[in-house]
Amino acid sequence: MSKWFASLQADFEQTFIAADRWKSLIKGLGVTLEITLLALLIGVMLGVLVAVIRSSYDQMAAQKKSNGLLSVLNGLCKLYLTVIRGTPVMVQLLIMYFVILANSTNTVLTAVLTFGINTGAYVAEIVRSGIMSIDAGQMEAGRSLGLNYVQTMWHIIIPQAVKNILPALGNEFIALLKETSIVNVIGMKDITKWAINVQGRTYQAFMPFIGIALVYLVMVIILSKLVNLLERRLRSSER
Amino acid sequence: MSADILIKVENLEKVFTGKTTVRALDGVSAEICRGEVVVVIGPSGSGKSTFLRCLNLLEMPTAGSVVFEGTDITDPAVDINLHRQKMGMVFQHFNLFPHMTILENMTLAPMKLLKKSKADAEAQAKALLERVGLADRANAYPSQLSGGQKQRVAIVRSLCMDPEVMLFDEPTSALDPEMVGEVLDVMKELAREGMTMVVVTHEMGFAREVGDRVLFMADGKLLEEGTPEEIFGHPQNARLQDFLAKVL
Ligand SMILES: Nc1ncnc2c1ncn2[C@@H]1O[C@H](COP(=O)(O)OP(=O)(O)OP(=O)(O)O)[C@@H](O)[C@H]1O
Ligand SMILES: [Mg+2]
Repeated sequence: MSKWFASLQADFEQTFIAADRWKSLIKGLGVTLEITLLALLIGVMLGVLVAVIRSSYDQMAAQKKSNGLLSVLNGLCKLYLTVIRGTPVMVQLLIMYFVILANSTNTVLTAVLTFGINTGAYVAEIVRSGIMSIDAGQMEAGRSLGLNYVQTMWHIIIPQAVKNILPALGNEFIALLKETSIVNVIGMKDITKWAINVQGRTYQAFMPFIGIALVYLVMVIILSKLVNLLERRLRSSER
Repeated sequence: MSADILIKVENLEKVFTGKTTVRALDGVSAEICRGEVVVVIGPSGSGKSTFLRCLNLLEMPTAGSVVFEGTDITDPAVDINLHRQKMGMVFQHFNLFPHMTILENMTLAPMKLLKKSKADAEAQAKALLERVGLADRANAYPSQLSGGQKQRVAIVRSLCMDPEVMLFDEPTSALDPEMVGEVLDVMKELAREGMTMVVVTHEMGFAREVGDRVLFMADGKLLEEGTPEEIFGHPQNARLQDFLAKVL
């Protein structure tokens, strides 16, 4: 028993302490978080934009009106959703790296764009369902005051929609964080790459891989708690 | 009654096409004069709400024109948002913004559209809340108010834009009976101050007491119009006589 424990301790030291590996782990953590947060930002902006275009088109279609520009935009949005949700994010990352941004050496940009565009497609459908869940009277009240469509969306519909979809957005955020673990295929040194490197150097697999699994797990738990907290705070403001 | 026409509606027609085709408005022409209180009555499904909602183009008429302050607002080239600023609307279900306080509900549009400063907008909102006896609820959220309070807020929210006309669609129909009075009182006071009002309602007492003119609609048509005395005292149209026999 004590022998087992001693070997575990040796493994731990070799994995995390030797050659200051904990420092590169923290650097890797920085990479993971950087990609996740920037991609989330792009994803949310893109998602809201696509959701607003899609819902305004739906609303116009319901009123049997037509607008050429909006129809084209709506078509583009649908194409975007189909392509992005119909292909693996790993493949999207490879295409972005080797084809679209083949001339760029900025892997952060490549990763952030890929994951941002990918997340945007999922956020768009979540936000759209949130917009549809808001009573039509809210839009009518905003418009009857003289606010235009975008102003009403922005100040009245979207804040309420976001409140309703916060749990779904939180899940999307968590999925994004975990999905960034594939960025090592384009040579980025995130925490997953760190574990692969340590395993290659030390021939220890248990410590580095279980170690980063725990790091991901802790981040996800913290995120879930934050989302819950935010949700409760938003709800309490209303009631 | 002044002859200063604020809204002139001509041959208004609204056809809803869906699974079934509904001719909700079938050639309605009417005039609303400045300072006048016009009450619209009629059986359910007769097109009263559709008529009202066509006045500020929440519903786009399929034919006919709505001339507001001399401009045909059904013209696609017209910026309807500018005209809607001057046409307040009060809904049956209040439609307050639940994520904003009462004060925020009232100051959003004046700040965004009339470019009022926050201080100005809030001062105006508080003065209006004071008038409807809700000054102490300025920082409450809509869900913390009773139905009657919500509707009074909805009315003053529209008033914050200094509208030329107020449109009411059954403002008391969703209220518990004991709260109807407080909302009608606010509306009566507005009328006394000379606000132009178009009111769709089932409150015949209000129509009689406050209305300058009553429009009776059935099957998407304006079948009779006149002063409350004429409409309630000497109804001509058989449908109107029938309707009044049922509701009075
Ligand atoms: N968005 C819509 N789509 C299809 N039909 C509609 C729509 N809105 C109204 N209608 C139909 O148009 C007709 C007139 O409706 P409207 O709501 O104007 O009547 P109303 O006089 O206000 O009735 P109520 O007293 O019940 O409110 C009805 O037959 C209704 O079913
Ligand atoms: Mg109605």
